[in-house]
Amino acid sequence: MPRILTRENAIRWAPFLVLLALIVLFSAINPSFLSQRNFARIAIAAAPALMVAVGVTFIIVMGSIDLSMEGVVSLTAVLFCFLMLAFGGTLASGGWIAIPIILVVGAAIGLVNGLVHVRLKIPSFMASLALGFVGTGAAILLTGGDIVKFDDPTFRALLTWRILGFPLMVYVAGLCLVLAWFIQAHTRLGRYFYAVGGGEDLAHASGVRVQQVRMAGFALAGFFYAIAAILQVAKLGQAESVTGSNFMFMSITSVVVGGVALWGGIGGVWNTLVGVLIVAVINNGMVVIGLPDFLQAAVLGLLVIIAVILSTDRRSVAFVK
Amino acid sequence: MDIQRLKPHFPWITLLVLVAIVGVADPSFLKPANLLSLAGDIVPLFIMALGLTFAIYIGGIDLSAQSMANMITVVASVYLASLGIWVAALCILAGFMLGTLSGYLTTRMYVPSFISTLAVGGVCFSVAQWLSGNRALNMDATQRNETFGWMIGRTGIVPHELFIALGLLAICLLIERRTILGRALKAVGAGELAAAASGLNVARYKILAFAISGALAAVAGLLFSVKLSGGAPTIANGFLLPAIVAVLVGGTPLTGGVGGVLNTAIGTLIVAVIRASMLYFGIAATQQQMVFGLVLIVAIALTIDRSKLRIVK
Repeated sequence: MPRILTRENAIRWAPFLVLLALIVLFSAINPSFLSQRNFARIAIAAAPALMVAVGVTFIIVMGSIDLSMEGVVSLTAVLFCFLMLAFGGTLASGGWIAIPIILVVGAAIGLVNGLVHVRLKIPSFMASLALGFVGTGAAILLTGGDIVKFDDPTFRALLTWRILGFPLMVYVAGLCLVLAWFIQAHTRLGRYFYAVGGGEDLAHASGVRVQQVRMAGFALAGFFYAIAAILQVAKLGQAESVTGSNFMFMSITSVVVGGVALWGGIGGVWNTLVGVLIVAVINNGMVVIGLPDFLQAAVLGLLVIIAVILSTDRRSVAFVK
Repeated sequence: MDIQRLKPHFPWITLLVLVAIVGVADPSFLKPANLLSLAGDIVPLFIMALGLTFAIYIGGIDLSAQSMANMITVVASVYLASLGIWVAALCILAGFMLGTLSGYLTTRMYVPSFISTLAVGGVCFSVAQWLSGNRALNMDATQRNETFGWMIGRTGIVPHELFIALGLLAICLLIERRTILGRALKAVGAGELAAAASGLNVARYKILAFAISGALAAVAGLLFSVKLSGGAPTIANGFLLPAIVAVLVGGTPLTGGVGGVLNTAIGTLIVAVIRASMLYFGIAATQQQMVFGLVLIVAIALTIDRSKLRIVK
């Protein structure tokens, strides 16, 4: 009989069990946590974060890291608002064109990120951190520090139109998650991500064009950041140079807490979904049971540390920078 | 002439060229008073960069420096009234302990430094928000002047911050060049596995490097809060990018092992001149972050030692 309580099984199911335990805990302290309205609130908070986290999941699966999300989300959100205004300010007047353009722009920024990382041979965390700064800088430059907004009821339906109590944006995020899962599980690119993350030398020796795969991964991440930016604009109704702030810490915490190993090759978008929900439930639950919100950053910090420690097989790591 | 032999001299040549360019465009830039006040203004950033140098020198990174400085501005503002001058000791101790925590997590728990310091930075941010009640705080002006007035005055045309900066630079230089710690850090930066194989207690020295980085970030925060006579949980935002830029353009590569604190002094001056030149050439403040982001990429690309990175992740 196969052992059920192996290390692998524990790691695989721990995030999900943690999520369930958290829901039980918060419901026990305050039963109103368990209401449909509150779940809708959690889902709205989690939808843009999920898109950012899904984007960075591909990168982490490859064993790299992307810290550019704050800058990319801010820049694409601001650009999206400007484009929307340029095309008449509503989806119906031609503003819908802004959506595909912004998705392409997001992918292009990601590609630049990948180019800098791969061609200049700069470690990804620093290349992406620097480009994130450039993105935020560009957003500041474009807005001059102001808020950009447009008023289109059709576009805001993403937030206001509810199906079964959940707004449309939650379903959009869900669809994009399925798309990400499809890429991960059923495309060659998805398998190459795991090949590169599992062992770059071996992947290279097997004929995988590692450099192209890395660049494609960063472009794909940028694409998902752009989706996040659009959802965030739908959620807030406006964009500014700080629209993307907090996403970096939150998304990386989510991905790691969900069980995607920082060393690459392990985990996937479903882990990320669980991780994003854990973080969203904690953030929401702390408010519901009356804890002050300044604890959030510290709790996220502790969470990511614990998750990394638990998921690291210490025998296989020589040294850490 | 071999470009590899010229490479160590790039930073100060860059600095001289930049000063010359700005000086030609605007001769009043070269007045000693102007140059000194320019240098005085950059001191908090310099101290943070000085600390970061230790983290980067061993091949790590400290992304908590900015949150640390933020937290310390709040701590200093809150406890100045009750502790007086001892608040400085509290601040430095807090920085040292939190830096030690980052180092411990990185070396003993195998959490990569960019994650561990990001997480410790999150803790700092929470503490700052909690202590300040999420408001901007002010120091009592007379008490500040009595306790820390000596930090920010001027003697003739020389700002007092410069003396602090030079003092800290001398201490760091001493650590780097004349102590076992300095030698050990060089060994770790040059080749961690070889250092460990030679019997060096690598983990202990790495933890110390992160602790020094935290302590100096705290000093930077303290000086900054004294300058502004107050503190807030986000007041030092915008320090991290130029501080990393200062270390890297100074010639300490991300891969560690070469460069050092003197390089960071030159790097910080380069950052100061770039900032000043942006004003002279009419580049708006809103573009600074973009420019520094691009400078950072160029600086990393030029300095990084690719022979150490078999696989670039």
